[in-house]
Amino acid sequence: MSPHASSTRRFGFSAGHRYWVEAWTPAENERVFGRLTVPHGHNYTLDVTVRGPIDPQTGMVIDLAELKRIVTETVVERFDHADLNADPLFRGRVPTTENVAVAVWELLAPKLGADRLARVRVWEDPTLYVDVRGEPQ
Amino acid sequence: MMLELTRVYHFSAGHRLANPALGLEANAALYGDCHRPHGHNYYLEVTVAGRPDPVTGMSVDLGRLDDAVRARVLAQVDHHTLEGVPALAGVITTGEGLARAFWRLLAPAVPGTLRRVTVVETAKNRFQYEGGEG
Repeated sequence: MSPHASSTRRFGFSAGHRYWVEAWTPAENERVFGRLTVPHGHNYTLDVTVRGPIDPQTGMVIDLAELKRIVTETVVERFDHADLNADPLFRGRVPTTENVAVAVWELLAPKLGADRLARVRVWEDPTLYVDVRGEPQ
Repeated sequence: MMLELTRVYHFSAGHRLANPALGLEANAALYGDCHRPHGHNYYLEVTVAGRPDPVTGMSVDLGRLDDAVRARVLAQVDHHTLEGVPALAGVITTGEGLARAFWRLLAPAVPGTLRRVTVVETAKNRFQYEGGEG
């Protein structure tokens, strides 16, 4: 059996969002979310980690150029300079850092394989990040 | 899927490595340069596990997390000498020792389930404690 390893590539996207639950009144949203109800944005950083056997021919877990193409097409082009609240992925789902990480996982898992996608880490800013992993096998 | 949220905090503190049971020369021999009083710009990473609430999308109330970390740790240690901090009495202030001590201070206080405490002493030294006394 080939030895396994993980490869991580970093991406960035700048996106706007606000915390807002449509089913609530404005007063209720402001009571729960405070200033986060005001539309604002972040320079998000995304670390995508793929785990698997090191291919004996190429010496790679994944061709990072392929990973870059998949993540760019699937996530970065969708979210960069976009209003997250307007994306159907966040219909009925507040675009918190947690939910952005979950959405990125849901976008990438079918493309990369849930068994190969080891971790999605979304940094909202340098002081806050959320990790999503698959359930342990 | 499993979800963990990590918040990164900062504090600056003075310390020295010394085992109070040992004398000056033995500590100097054991800890080398770290025996001398000095300080660091520390980073403290606090990781909590949880599922996003289906309505709010939040797995943890960040305000409550920040308040807990500020009250239990940052207010005690920032711009203090760690050896003089009552909450750290008896702790040898290595990165490992601090991570474990901060875990004990934070586990009962943070919202959600504390998963990991990471102390970054310098850009080269990083220490993690995940609980358990095994």
